[in-house]
Amino acid sequence: MNRHFAGILAKLWDLVAAKRADRDFEREIEVHLAFLEQDYLQQGLTPAEARRRARLALGGIERTRQAQRDERSFLWLTQAGQDLWHAFRSMRRAPGFTVCAVATVALGIGSNTAVFSVVNAVLVRPLGYPDSSRIVQFFLSSSTGSTAGASIPDLRFWLERAESVQDIAAYDFDQSEMGLTSGAPEQVHGIHVTSNYFRLFGAPVLLGRTFIQADSLANGPRVVVLSYRLWRRRFVGDQNIIGKTISLDKESYTVIGVTGKGFNSDPEAQLWIPFQFNLNETDQLHSFEVAARLKAGVTLDQANAQLDAVSQSARRLSELPDPDYRFQLRRLHDAMVGDIRSSLLTLQGAVGLVLLIAYANLANLLLVRAIVRKREFAIRAAIGARAGRIIRQLIVESLLLSFFGCFLGVIAGLAGVHLLLKTIPGGIPRITGTDAAIGLDWRVMAFAVGLSIATGLVFGVLPALQVLREKLVDSLHETGSRHGPGARSKWLHSVTVISEVALSLVLLIGASLLGRTYILLNRVDPGFDSHNLLMMTMSMRGRNVGTDRSLAAMVRDGCQQLNAIPGVNAAAATFSPPFADRMGLPFTSLSATPTISGDSEWIAASPAYFQVLKIPILRGRDFDVHDDSGTSPVVMINQTMAKRYWPQQDALGQQIVIGKGLGPKFEDEPRTIIGVFADAREHDLSDDPQPTLVIPDAQTPSGIIELMSQFGPVWWMVRTNMEPHQFIPAISEKLRSASGGRPVGKVQTMDDLLARSIAKQNFNMLLLSIFAATALLLAAVGVYGVMAYSVAQRTHEVGVRMALGAGRMSVRNMILREGLMKGTLGVIGGVGAAFFLARLLTALLFGVSSHDTAVFVAAPLVLELIVAIATLIPAQRAASLDPASALRFE
Amino acid sequence: MSNREKRPAQVLQGTLDLIVLRTLATMGPQHAYQIASRLQQLSGQSLELNQGTLYPALVRLGQYGWVKGTWGKTENNREAKFYELTRAGRAALERETTQWHRMSRLVERLLLEGTEG
Repeated sequence: MNRHFAGILAKLWDLVAAKRADRDFEREIEVHLAFLEQDYLQQGLTPAEARRRARLALGGIERTRQAQRDERSFLWLTQAGQDLWHAFRSMRRAPGFTVCAVATVALGIGSNTAVFSVVNAVLVRPLGYPDSSRIVQFFLSSSTGSTAGASIPDLRFWLERAESVQDIAAYDFDQSEMGLTSGAPEQVHGIHVTSNYFRLFGAPVLLGRTFIQADSLANGPRVVVLSYRLWRRRFVGDQNIIGKTISLDKESYTVIGVTGKGFNSDPEAQLWIPFQFNLNETDQLHSFEVAARLKAGVTLDQANAQLDAVSQSARRLSELPDPDYRFQLRRLHDAMVGDIRSSLLTLQGAVGLVLLIAYANLANLLLVRAIVRKREFAIRAAIGARAGRIIRQLIVESLLLSFFGCFLGVIAGLAGVHLLLKTIPGGIPRITGTDAAIGLDWRVMAFAVGLSIATGLVFGVLPALQVLREKLVDSLHETGSRHGPGARSKWLHSVTVISEVALSLVLLIGASLLGRTYILLNRVDPGFDSHNLLMMTMSMRGRNVGTDRSLAAMVRDGCQQLNAIPGVNAAAATFSPPFADRMGLPFTSLSATPTISGDSEWIAASPAYFQVLKIPILRGRDFDVHDDSGTSPVVMINQTMAKRYWPQQDALGQQIVIGKGLGPKFEDEPRTIIGVFADAREHDLSDDPQPTLVIPDAQTPSGIIELMSQFGPVWWMVRTNMEPHQFIPAISEKLRSASGGRPVGKVQTMDDLLARSIAKQNFNMLLLSIFAATALLLAAVGVYGVMAYSVAQRTHEVGVRMALGAGRMSVRNMILREGLMKGTLGVIGGVGAAFFLARLLTALLFGVSSHDTAVFVAAPLVLELIVAIATLIPAQRAASLDPASALRFE
Repeated sequence: MSNREKRPAQVLQGTLDLIVLRTLATMGPQHAYQIASRLQQLSGQSLELNQGTLYPALVRLGQYGWVKGTWGKTENNREAKFYELTRAGRAALERETTQWHRMSRLVERLLLEGTEG
């Protein structure tokens, strides 16, 4: 033990226990001095002299006191040191046991710490804003769901009437990509915010200022706030940057401020631009999110109650789209985490089962070891060791094991998490940002250390209790192991094996259900062809609607140039490709009585959109370059929309109006349905296709084009006849010239986008499979260990049986039967538990019931097989015993 | 190397511990003053004993679980802490005594051999 550490321990010991011992000692020494004084007085000395001599005889009070005190702490330390040393030695004496136990603890604690580090980063750790638990987000809720999207009229309503919150701020859903073109062109992420944003999120300001009310007015000044990182990297930390202009999407912006170092916004941003709109606008486009801070002393419930009153008045004023809708506040943290919470907690539960299995194994190991060491304890007791000392020894040993295991497990677990997170391309909130937050903070440390101390104590005390129960000295008289373990420990072994099998079965069933989900998801036909399809974004912000040529013309030009590249089969462009956010707009049918109306996803695309995606046209015709502003407006709808709204009639030729009543920007002419295209799963492979309509980009109302340009990039979609990556330079070049110098942003293949859409299920399946594999391995080792031990204990019995004429086969079958019996009991328990627990997985499953028969039949069989294999080895060993030597076996 | 420094001290410590155990075994429960007086009485002038050195020994024996201290009354009705041998202490005394005899015989033989050789 390190000397310094020993010193600290000694001091701690002094603090805790020494006070009482000190008082006791003072009294004792007083008594002693009194006796001595009396002696000297009887010898005829004066009282003063007697007192002096008494102290002398004692050797000085202070010296005695100190010597006694030293002895006390020294003894405690030597004993602790001895215990540690002894623990090390006994671990070294049984390397097999030590490796097994440490590995078991490492697996259990490591996997749990790994998952907890994710849970901690996502669910537990507060958001990185001052007093973040009081930041709430506005939602528009109805009985069918809720959205965080808000429109300008919503915002105005809240600003005027939501009295229980302050600092109401609006900001973009998602980062926009902007072309930073002063100097070398570069795509940067920016978001639009209202002036309250920085106050709400407590952003520190390094230079200049953030936005003020005047910046947010329609036609306000073009100003920008830079993030610390962008300022350092791109502008080399220029102290005089305030007042300089930078070029964003070919427009000049004046830098008015730089935020402080630690500020990370969500959505992540490198720069911020003020929203500039007229609060009296009536467009119902849900184009941003709104958050606020609860006023001091107001609870979330109170604020929501107040907001209900606001909803009522909104309903009266017809501000709400539907009487079913209402406004709602949620904590920002909860809103961000969303539905990942349940899947993370499921994983934490699953990995908790791995820990239980590991503990069952550890309990088995320690029980066997305690039986083996019974004689050792008995001898130590006989030579004067108190039971307390032996128990302390056992606890120190188990703590040491557990700390070793914890140390290895945490290192491996965290490394594993980082590896795993690399395999998921996004999808978990609060982790995928630049400040990947997974790691060892104090909560993860406390979790791991807490687990290992609990493990150490529990598994130290367990065998210690056995020591206490046994009359130690009696076990000296036993002739070793011939009699085998007592009925009690045999029972304990059975219980641990059975529960291990049951727990692993639960995990195996869970993993199999997710595995089937994964396979089914991968088999789902998305309805479009994702191979050899390149997706490239381009920001369209800053277009001048009055003077620039139309977006459709630019796109047509671009596609023509792309088609000229050898190897490019087709090209198209849209704001709303598969997997991107899309607008949902209402439509009304004019030609039907009673009128048909509903909601549908809205796509404006260039000609060849269906050709590029290889979505078949089922009826009618595809639109082409001739469907432009000069011809009568047309629309195409998908099969789901045709079936849902025109179940009895022919949808072709029907007239609909889209976006009626949403405001001037959405003003559109009646359109004729000219074609029905096949359904595709364009958001999530596990979601059913939604009613969707597509209109030609050349016929799109300019107001909508203007809005869309503000809120997201255009996606160029290029189908090639071979692996698409090699085309990237040529395509980027052509697009840049066709767009008048706009840079290409993100470049992805559609295959990647598709993979990302099932990344969550993929991640869940991967993790649960790892847990299940770990559990199976642990269970197999556990069953093997117990059966092997049982065979070793019964060597004598087997010898007797063989001597009495039992055949080798029957001996082997006897052992096998015993193992399989335990396995079967475990399987029954496991199926029962899984039957209840599998329901928790329902939300993560697709195409498979949580009580899938195939899984519930196959998984138990697999487990029985593993139990059989683990039992076969010791059974074979028992069968091959030589009866003569087995009988002599002690 | 620190072992070499420690060893003589340990032998001495062990000796005092052994004597205290023996005293308690013979005399029954005793308080510290009684133990000290008994030692002085038996050894006459040959053992120069600081009575205070008894206390570390008693702490040690207590920690080993060989003696147990409880507060009680003396014949003169005075409060004192009485030490008595535990079961483990009795066993330890037996063992340590054997050990001591073996050790002292060994040392004696070694010393004799030294003078003869």
